[in-house]
Amino acid sequence: MKPLDRKLWRDLRRLWMQAIAVGLVLGSGIALFVMSTGMYGSLERARDRYYDRSHMADLASALVRAPDRVGRELAALPGLAAVETRVTGIGLISLPEVVEPVSARLVSLPAGRRPTVNDLVLRSGAWPDAQRSDEVLVNEAFAEVHGLRPGDPLDMLLRGKRRVLRISGIASSPEFVFAVAPGDILPEPRRFGVVWMGREALGRALDLDGAFNDVVLRLTPDASARAVSADVDRLLAPHGGRGVYGRDRMLSARYLSDELSQLRTMASVLPPVFLLVAVFLINVTLSRLVATERANIGLLKAFGYRNGVIALHYAEFALVFCALAAVLGLVLGGFVGGYMADIYRAVYRLPVLEFEPGWATWLGALGVALLAAVLGAAVAVARAVSLPPATALSPPAPTHFGRLGAGVERAARRLDARARMLVRRIVRFPRRSATTVAGIAFALALLILSDNFPAVVDRIISINFGVAQRMDVSVTFAERQHERVLRELARLPGVEAVEPLRTAEVILSAGPRRQRDALIGVPEGAWLNRIIGEDERPVQPRADGLTLSEGLAGKLGVGVGDRVRIEATDGRRVAFEVPVVALIKPFIGGAAYMDQRALGRLLREPERIDSAYLRIDPAARDVLAARLKGIPAIVGVTFADNAEASLRQLFDQGTGFFAFMFLSFSLVMAAGVAFSAARVTLGEQERDLATLRVLGFRRSEASWVLLGELGVLLAVAIPIGLVLGFALSQWLMSEFETEIFSFPFVFDPPTYARAVLFVVAAVVAAALWVRRDVDRLDLVSVLKSRE
Amino acid sequence: MSAPRPPVFEVRGLERTYGEGTAAVHALRGIDLHIDPGELLVLLGPSGSGKSTLLNILGGLDRPTGGSVRFGDLDLGTADDAALTDYRRHHVGFVFQFYNLIASLTARENVELVTEVADDPMPADEALRLVGLGERLTHFPAQLSGGEQQRVAIARAIAKRPTVLLCDEPTGALDVATGVRVLESLVRINETLGTTTLLITHNADIARIGDRVVRFADGRVRSDEANPTRVAPSELHW
Ligand SMILES: Nc1ncnc2c1ncn2[C@@H]1O[C@H](COP(=O)(O)OP(=O)(O)O)[C@@H](O)[C@H]1O
Ligand SMILES: [Mg+2]
Repeated sequence: MKPLDRKLWRDLRRLWMQAIAVGLVLGSGIALFVMSTGMYGSLERARDRYYDRSHMADLASALVRAPDRVGRELAALPGLAAVETRVTGIGLISLPEVVEPVSARLVSLPAGRRPTVNDLVLRSGAWPDAQRSDEVLVNEAFAEVHGLRPGDPLDMLLRGKRRVLRISGIASSPEFVFAVAPGDILPEPRRFGVVWMGREALGRALDLDGAFNDVVLRLTPDASARAVSADVDRLLAPHGGRGVYGRDRMLSARYLSDELSQLRTMASVLPPVFLLVAVFLINVTLSRLVATERANIGLLKAFGYRNGVIALHYAEFALVFCALAAVLGLVLGGFVGGYMADIYRAVYRLPVLEFEPGWATWLGALGVALLAAVLGAAVAVARAVSLPPATALSPPAPTHFGRLGAGVERAARRLDARARMLVRRIVRFPRRSATTVAGIAFALALLILSDNFPAVVDRIISINFGVAQRMDVSVTFAERQHERVLRELARLPGVEAVEPLRTAEVILSAGPRRQRDALIGVPEGAWLNRIIGEDERPVQPRADGLTLSEGLAGKLGVGVGDRVRIEATDGRRVAFEVPVVALIKPFIGGAAYMDQRALGRLLREPERIDSAYLRIDPAARDVLAARLKGIPAIVGVTFADNAEASLRQLFDQGTGFFAFMFLSFSLVMAAGVAFSAARVTLGEQERDLATLRVLGFRRSEASWVLLGELGVLLAVAIPIGLVLGFALSQWLMSEFETEIFSFPFVFDPPTYARAVLFVVAAVVAAALWVRRDVDRLDLVSVLKSRE
Repeated sequence: MSAPRPPVFEVRGLERTYGEGTAAVHALRGIDLHIDPGELLVLLGPSGSGKSTLLNILGGLDRPTGGSVRFGDLDLGTADDAALTDYRRHHVGFVFQFYNLIASLTARENVELVTEVADDPMPADEALRLVGLGERLTHFPAQLSGGEQQRVAIARAIAKRPTVLLCDEPTGALDVATGVRVLESLVRINETLGTTTLLITHNADIARIGDRVVRFADGRVRSDEANPTRVAPSELHW
C-alpha cells in the first residue's frame, strides 16, 4: 500500500463517526429516493397491470333499460375490443351488528363465463355455481370488515323483497379498488359493498329480464374514445342512455389516480429536496474536514506531491463516505420499500404489488451518491489544492471586515477571553459558521416540511367537518324523492333539523370542450352542508347561474360571464345553457354548484332531492339509525363522525404513511446533521480546547467554548430554518392540489415547535456526546504537533 | 540567613512507561531531582531521552507510572484531574516548541485568557512589554512571526506570576537571532520575578544560560552540575 492510501485508511478510521453522520444524512436521502420513486412506480405499474389483466373498462354508461339485442349492436361497433352488458342496482344488506343501513352495489356476472370487461380476481372461495341463482361474490374490503367468509349467508333486501343469498367467494375488481357508495365521496367498506350475482337471477330480481341497464366497454388500442363514445351514446339514447364516461368519472379509478398523483408529487418533489440538502451537508462536512487537513496538504505539497495526486486523495475520501451512504441508502430504501408495498397492498387491494424500483431508480440513486461525492468534495479540494504550501502550513488567517466586524469587535471587547474566542470563531470565519447554520436550518426546514403534511390533512378534515359539513347524518335515497320526504324525516325521533341536496350527473360543455361532472343544488341558506371556498368562508351558490370550481372552469376554458351548456344524463334529460356567475376553490370534492330550487326548475324536476342532511340529538342516535334502516327508500346513512374517521384512515394509510416515512428520514437526517456539526466543530476546536486545558481551565470551562459556539449557531439557525420550512411547506402544498382535494394555507405552530424541539434536542445531545471527548483530550499529544 | 527554602519540586525514583510487555517504552527509568525556588534549570539531552516526559509530569499534564513527584505538599502522581487543573491554573506557566496560541485571539487577548482566571496576575500589556512586545498587541497569531508568537506564549505563561515556568524547546522552531531574543525574555523573567524556570533543550550551548544543567540520556539523569557562571543569551552562538 502506498503511504497516501495508508493515510486514507487511517483517516477514515479516525473519522468513523463523521463517516456515520454523513452516511446517515446522504443515506437517508438516497433511501428516500429509492423508496418513494420506487414505490410510486411500483404502485402505478401494479395498477396498470391489474387494469390490463382484468380488462378494466375504458368507457362505461348507465341506461334505463335496453334489450339484449342492443348489446349485440354495441359489440358490432368499430373501435371496441370488448363489450359487457350488465344489470346493476342497489340492494340493502341486513347485518345485525351494524346500526345504520348497509347497502351494496349489485353487479351481474355473465352466465357460464368470466366477464370480458372488468373481470374479477377471486381471493377465496369459488365462482357462483351457474345452476344456483342464490350464490354471489362479495368484494374483499367489505367481506373483511364484516368478517364474511365463503359459505356465509347474506340477507339482502332487493326492490322491497327480502332474499337470503349465499356467499360462494370473495373477489376484487379493478372497477372497485375503492368502493364508494352513491352520493358519497369516500369509500366506507363498513356500510357499502359490492355483490356480484348471476345475470339471470339479478335480472329477474330487478325486473330486467332479457335486458341490461349498464354497459362497460374496452377500446381497441387505436380507437378514438370520443368517436366510440358518440356511437355508443347514439345507440343507447333510445334506451335512456345516461352518457358514456371514461375512467376520469369512474369513482374508484379517479380515487386511485388521485392517490397516485399525490404519491407522485411526494416522490418527485421531496426526495430531490432531501438529496439537495444531503449533498449540501456532504459538502459542508467534507470541506470542513479538508480544512482541518490544511497543514497536511501543505506538507504533501512541500514534499512535492502533485496537485492531481492530492486532489485524488481527498476525492477518494469523499467517495468512500458516499459509497458507504449509497450502500446504506440502497439497502434501507429497498427494505422500507418492501415493507411499504406490504402495507399498500392491503390499502389499495391490488392483487399483486411488489416493490420493484427498477434499474432506473437504483442507478439514479447511485448516480446521486456519486454526484454528492463529487460536488461535496470538489470545492473543498479545489480550495485546498490551490493554497501555496507555505500558506497551507500556517493556520488560516481570520477574515477581516468592515463595519459589522468593527461593531462586533467593540462589543466583544467587553466580553471575557473565552466569549471573545467564541464570537471571533463565528464572526471571523463566516463561511464556516454559515455552513453549520445552513446545515442545521435545512435539517429543521425538512422536519417542518415532512411534519406539516399531517397537519394540513388534519386541517382539511377539520374544515370539512367543522365548517362545511355540519350535519350529523346524511341520508341518500335509492331514487330521487319529492321534497315532502323532508317533513317525514323531520318527524323521526331525535331529528332537530333537515336540509336537502339535489345532485345531477351532467355533461357540461363550452364550445368543443365537454366535461362530465356532478352539478350540485344547494338550498338557499344552507347551513348543514355548506360549500366552503378557499378563504374558509361559505359560498352560497346562486340561482341565476353556475358557481364553478376553478379546476372545472379551467378544463372547460370558461370564466365568469361565459355560458355553459348543461345536459342532464338522467331524469328528464333536459339540456339548457346557464352563465357562469362565480368561480371558487372548494376544499373537497364537488365542482359545479347552483341554487337547489333553480336547478330543479331548469331540470324540469322541481322539488326533487337526492339526499338529505340531518342534525340530531346524539342521545337518539341508535333509535334513529334503527328507524332509518327500516325505510326502504334510503340506501345510505352516513354518520358524520364515521365519515370523518374513514377520511382520516384513508389519509393515514395512503399518503399519510408516505409522509410518515419522510418524517422518519428527516429525523434521522437532523440527527446526522447535528452530530456532524458538533463533531466537526470539536475537530476544529480540539487544539484550542487542549490549550485551554493546559493553561488550567477546567473541563467545564473548556467545554463552554464548544457548547457556546454550537449554541450560538443553533440559535441563529432556528429562525432561518423556520422561515425556510414555512416556505418549502407552502410550495409543497401548492404542488399537491388534486381534483378532489385542494390544500389550504396551514400554519400549525405545534409542527414548528416540535421540529425546533427535536433539532435543539439533537444538537444538545450531539454536543453533550462530543463534550465527553473534551474530557478525554490527550493534552500531551496535542502539544507535540504543530498546527 | 534563614534555613534554605524547601525545594519547589521533589522527584524520587520517577518512572514513566508507555505501553506494556515487550512493546513497552521506558521513557523515564527512575529520576531523582530537587529543584529549588528561583532556579533556572536546563534539561539537556538527545531527542527521545525523556525530557518532555519529565516536564509534562512536572506540569501536571501527565502522570508517572512509578516513583513520586511532589510540588510542595501536592503529590502530582496521585492528585486527581481537578487538582491538577487547579495546580496548572495557579502555579504553572508553559511554553512549548509550537507556541500553542489560540488563533482566534489577538496577542493581548491570548495573555488575557490567563490573567482573567489567575489570582494575582500582572496586566497583560505589562507581560507583553516584559517580552519586548509592547507594540503588536492587537495582532492575531497568524500575523506574527514565529519568534513573536513564542514571546506571546511566554507573556501568556508569566502573566499569572506562576511559581514555575516550564519551557519545552522554546527556541526549537526559531532561528538563532530570534531564539536569542526569546531566551533573553526568559532570563529576564527569571531574574526580575524570581520564577523557577525549567528549560528543555538539546543544544549544549544554550545550556550555559542556566544556574544548573541536568543531562539526560535514555530516561536517566546522567549528570547534574551547577554552571559556574550564567552566560547571557546574547553571548551565545549556535
Ligand atoms: N505517547 C507515547 N507513546 C509511546 N511512547 C512515547 C510517547 N511519548 C513519548 N514516548 C517515548 O518516550 C521517549 C521519551 O520521549 P520524550 O520525553 O518526548 O523525549 P525528549 O523530549 O527527550 O525528546 C521516547 O522514546 C518516545 O518515543
Ligand atoms: Mg521533547
